[in-house]
Amino acid sequence: MSAAIVVVLAQAIAMVACLAIGHRSEPAVRVVAAGGAAVSWVAALAAAGPHVGDALASDGSYATVVTGAIPIEVALRVDALSAVMLVLATSVALAVQIYSVAYLHDDPRYPSYASIVSLFTAAMTLVVVADDLFVLLVGWEAMGICSYFLISHHWELPEARAGAVKAFLLTRMGDVGFLFGIFTLGSAAGSYRISDIEAGVASGDLHGHIVTVGALLLLCGVVGKSAQFPLHTWLPDAMPGPTPISALIHAATMVAAGVFLVARLYAVFSASQAAMTVLAIIASVTMLGAALFALAQDDLKRVLAWSTVSQLGYMFGGLAVGGYTAGIMHLLTHGAFKALLFLAAGVLAHGVGSTSLAAMGGLRRQLPVTFVTMTIGFAALAGVVPMAGFFTKDAILGAALDAAEHGGPSGTGSAWLVLVCGLLTVVVTAAYSFRAWLLVFFGKGPAGVQEGSWLMRGPLVVLAVLTAEGGVVVLAPGLLGETPRPGLVHAPIAILTTLLVLLSCALTYGEWWHLESGDPAVSLGRLRRPLAREFAVDEAYDIAFVRPVESAAALTVDTDRDVVAPYVFGSGAAAMLLGRLVRLSQTGRVQTYLTVVVLGVAAIAASAGVMAS
Amino acid sequence: MMPLWWPLVLACLLFSLGVYGVLARRNAVQVLMAIELMLNAVNLNLVAFDAYLRDVVHSGQVLTLFVIVIAAAEIGLGLAIVLLVFRTHAGIDIDEMTELADRDDVEAVKEAGARV
Repeated sequence: MSAAIVVVLAQAIAMVACLAIGHRSEPAVRVVAAGGAAVSWVAALAAAGPHVGDALASDGSYATVVTGAIPIEVALRVDALSAVMLVLATSVALAVQIYSVAYLHDDPRYPSYASIVSLFTAAMTLVVVADDLFVLLVGWEAMGICSYFLISHHWELPEARAGAVKAFLLTRMGDVGFLFGIFTLGSAAGSYRISDIEAGVASGDLHGHIVTVGALLLLCGVVGKSAQFPLHTWLPDAMPGPTPISALIHAATMVAAGVFLVARLYAVFSASQAAMTVLAIIASVTMLGAALFALAQDDLKRVLAWSTVSQLGYMFGGLAVGGYTAGIMHLLTHGAFKALLFLAAGVLAHGVGSTSLAAMGGLRRQLPVTFVTMTIGFAALAGVVPMAGFFTKDAILGAALDAAEHGGPSGTGSAWLVLVCGLLTVVVTAAYSFRAWLLVFFGKGPAGVQEGSWLMRGPLVVLAVLTAEGGVVVLAPGLLGETPRPGLVHAPIAILTTLLVLLSCALTYGEWWHLESGDPAVSLGRLRRPLAREFAVDEAYDIAFVRPVESAAALTVDTDRDVVAPYVFGSGAAAMLLGRLVRLSQTGRVQTYLTVVVLGVAAIAASAGVMAS
Repeated sequence: MMPLWWPLVLACLLFSLGVYGVLARRNAVQVLMAIELMLNAVNLNLVAFDAYLRDVVHSGQVLTLFVIVIAAAEIGLGLAIVLLVFRTHAGIDIDEMTELADRDDVEAVKEAGARV
């Protein structure tokens, strides 16, 4: 338990120290930021060690905040789920901090950047170990504001500012539902502690509509935070932020927090079939839609962003069909390979000076380390044997098949939907991964591109090893303290997805070869434009929400000016007029004043005499 | 022994004379003199009632002494003010001293502030 506190506090202290040191000594900031992350990582390993594969949790409350109604307890809990998430979050944070030392070497805003990254990690680890929904909410919202600051790191760029505001507003919209979900569950259970709520669900005290309403409201926040349909548009627009930040947001914090929350309150969610069905539908729509969008993008980071949205859809799909362990495993392996892909994309951006796919090509000889590691990352993303992503995706699809045949928490219909969408997404994922890989590393491209420094290559190699070997987690299905019913390895699904991946890659390669190293996305033909515009969801939101709000604002301004203002000015003018009349008596002559005083005294004396007699 | 109302009528006349002087005279020194008249009217009352009530400790007369002392201090202060007014305004006509008036003229107010 105390190790869990160290995990959070080390990052929080690093944050304060980085801000305090500031520009006085940037080398010191580098040491503090990376050192804080390292301390936190070691503490996370110590905290996680006893809990991996153990269903028992250790928890404790440190303080009680008396609110007048249900008290808020500053309570922490470490169990198997928290343990693996702690290790994931702190590992990626450590990799990102080390990488950022080189990536933002000449950046004038490095101290504040490092500080906010530390706060970001502290917030995520707080979410992971919180046992009270309000403590969790603190970390949850702190991540929201940190993502805002980090996305707008280059605030002189208008798209960075717009992306930051968009990310903040969309996640905030979901968080309104989230807050009310906390109220609903907390007031129904008589406690905001997660363990009490889970106990209430298990004992049957909490059941029926209240659980469904609570779960659906919480789902609003989850959908916003994890960029799922219909609040999915913020994540790709968050790309103007520095690339290591994308790695942090996409791999280990922020979007992972949504998946973590569903897993943390899995008892609540799985007690409501309606919530699970909604989750399954959202996940299916998101995973397929986002993968299709990724296929048509011209920017490497945008491809990766949509792939994150799509992979998060897999995780939610897995959780919705009852594949708890499979979903979390995919979160872990995705954390490794997506951090790898983004950090590698950072090396490319550093070398080429752009993240546009058109600006890249033929980089395999100039950037050998990036080539090998990114190949492993793309292979894991596409689900190629024997990379980590293959096994966990297989586990999710296997769980979906099992739920479709035998019934799961979301019902058979939605399980079929998850399965079919999942298989289709396998095809699309392989296509867009292969396309991006071909466009970056083959064909013609710029010359004289430099590989990053060892500080940038080191995290890449470590993450590549994890990505390549991470698949062994399926050999330990009890990692999260429970053994999944259908197991984690499914031979028929594995063979089917491998065939689909091969087919998809062959088609993509065929197009690429046919077009003489051209962009295979051209073959999408008429579909390409709507896909590249992401089905105009943003435009639809613009028409449905932004413009009505803007015209309402304009109407308010007009009303204020033409209706409200005359009354305000009128009352002011009346007071002025009255004041002018009263001022006439203020002559400045002392004798006039004295005359009034004498007359007043005389009048009082006379009236006193009258009353007395 | 003379009846009580004689000195009371005299005090009343003196006080009215003082009030008239304070309210009507334009010369600041004359206003100060009128204030003296009012104070002495009060003194006359105090002495008269002291004698009439045959007060053993003569508190009326003692109070009169106090009033005389305070009046002396007050006239010293008042004459000093009149002297300063004479120097700054080149005259002691009370009607000319209207700085207390509420004015529209912002510049004049600022100027007065700067003078202070």
